[in-house]
Amino acid sequence: MTMQRSIKFLLDPSARPFVIMAGALVVLALMDRGTGYFFSVGTVYSVMQLFATLGLVALGLGLSMLVREFDLSVASIVGLAGSIAVITGVAHPWLGVLLGVGAGALSGTLQGLIMTRLGLSSVGVTLGGLLTLQGITYVLTANQTVSYPNMAVALGLNAPIAHLLSVRSVAALTVFVVAALVMTFTHIGRDIIATGSDRRASRIAGLNTDRVIIGVFAASGASAALAGVLLDYSLGAASPVALADVLAPAAAAAIVGGVSVVGGRGGPMGIAAGVLTLCILRSGLSAIGVPPYVHDLVTGAILLVIAILDAPDLARRVIAWRLYSAEQRDSAVAGKSS
Amino acid sequence: MIQSSLRGRFQFGNVRARHVVLAVRGIAVLALASFALSTPGFTSLLSINALLTAISFIGCVAVGMTFITLTGNIMSLALGATVSASALVFLASLSAGILPAFLLALAFGMVITAAQGFLVGYFRANPILVSIAGLSLLIGGAAFATGGQRIYPGGAGLTVFKGRVAGIPTVALFFFATVIVGQLILSWTRIGRVMVMVGSNVRATTAVGVSAARAITVAYMIAGACSAVSGVLLAARYGSGDMEIGTGYDYAAIAAVLVGGTSITGGSGSVLRTLVGVAVIAIIEVVLLLRGFSDQLQYLITGIIVLGVIMLHTVGERR
Repeated sequence: MTMQRSIKFLLDPSARPFVIMAGALVVLALMDRGTGYFFSVGTVYSVMQLFATLGLVALGLGLSMLVREFDLSVASIVGLAGSIAVITGVAHPWLGVLLGVGAGALSGTLQGLIMTRLGLSSVGVTLGGLLTLQGITYVLTANQTVSYPNMAVALGLNAPIAHLLSVRSVAALTVFVVAALVMTFTHIGRDIIATGSDRRASRIAGLNTDRVIIGVFAASGASAALAGVLLDYSLGAASPVALADVLAPAAAAAIVGGVSVVGGRGGPMGIAAGVLTLCILRSGLSAIGVPPYVHDLVTGAILLVIAILDAPDLARRVIAWRLYSAEQRDSAVAGKSS
Repeated sequence: MIQSSLRGRFQFGNVRARHVVLAVRGIAVLALASFALSTPGFTSLLSINALLTAISFIGCVAVGMTFITLTGNIMSLALGATVSASALVFLASLSAGILPAFLLALAFGMVITAAQGFLVGYFRANPILVSIAGLSLLIGGAAFATGGQRIYPGGAGLTVFKGRVAGIPTVALFFFATVIVGQLILSWTRIGRVMVMVGSNVRATTAVGVSAARAITVAYMIAGACSAVSGVLLAARYGSGDMEIGTGYDYAAIAAVLVGGTSITGGSGSVLRTLVGVAVIAIIEVVLLLRGFSDQLQYLITGIIVLGVIMLHTVGERR
């Protein structure tokens, strides 16, 4: 009975991100066999650098998934905000941050307005947003890599703090902590969960769900934009190359982090754990010398298992098949005896 | 008569909105046509052939995506990777002859994508989540199999795909064949009708005793086959392949599907609409190119138009 209960706990969605992360750590530690490549200061630092970019994008996407929508446009907001910051923030880096994040929040708000006012689905609108924002990025950068001459900012952002963190990863962590506090202790968090769980019921209960959705998309845009600004500042260049590759890992991180694709379940701390798991897998596997494709295979396998475990018809199918095979066995036995 | 009055009663309230949308659509098509025809060089044989070739690669994927969207499963993020992977399979097995290689690539795309469809159909697993898992596995598996190297053809015979038949590029013939076969499956086979039914109401489909799961699995299988066709065409065009050649095709394909007017929630749409969507996007791009807009502006204007068309369609459909 305790066995069953502990399995139930391990499979519980709210505990899942931490269980998977612990599993990844144990497996990597075992594979490392005490050589110390995995448990090194350098690995932690590189995990946190990855976290700074992927985490903020995953947070934005995860928030939109919480209200049962899907913000595809985060992929191009990263590039757009980075380009705006690099172009405008040469003399005053803070101005670049402000304009970049502002552009992200604005495009999120606009898409949210279009969705709620016209009653459209988020996939269609944010797909259009993805293409349009990518186009704006191409126009702004004239389709060339724009370099950022203010190297002091780049070096400052990446300078290690206590060997483990950098200004960039501290900024990302701060955003996560703020998001978690807002989600837990203010009515905004409850409104978001309510909207994602049952939008009609929330509206009947007097919640302005349209405003919640617009707010979520604005926050999602701002979060992805901050990721782009920090990334391009620290790279010292903005490249117009489409960062569509960021979308799949970000969605994967949010889902590993326990955000339900049908809305209403999940939170910033879970998303952070999900992102950390993916970053640990990527840095850890390369630190102990495993070829890079293993990372993709492992991520894919984890996602596949989650997809199957979360599938609403899994139990029904398994029971039906069991009954069917039992029936077959019985009839085979009956056939033999007669 | 009764039927028409019932129809009127049901549509009461947004009949006018529908007329407005219809008028706007008509004007948009007319504007696009006159804009295109008045562009110098648009009607030249060279540019039309280039247009046909350009739409074929994305067009095949878009036809496949139509089936996924129609059954109510929004989109698959793995189709671009499926295109690349089946191109690799085709090139690697080319030494066995062109037809076996083609069939092998086709079978590969069908099995990989049908497996995803099986999970979505039989377990009702989330389609986007399953497709991201498929994407990761495809990228990892391809890197494992190829060691990250480019794949060069193991045999000859790629010229078959580069020629022309009766002045039409062979590539375009493959695309048209895909469109025709797709539309025939959708409107003339039982499983095709079931797919549309599943998209408009899964519960009703199950309630009348039809297997929604099988229709969804078959829809994914067709999507995989279409992606494999696109992969083979791309491989033949470039003469070599890696996992990059299909990148972004999933987004381009879903854009074409939505511009064509297939509903994102499923249950309404067709392969022919997707053909229109592919053509509209391609014509806009060619016209902008011929009129001398820079690459960047072309991209931006196309994006805005796609956004506008998607909004227009969905406003018209809204109840």
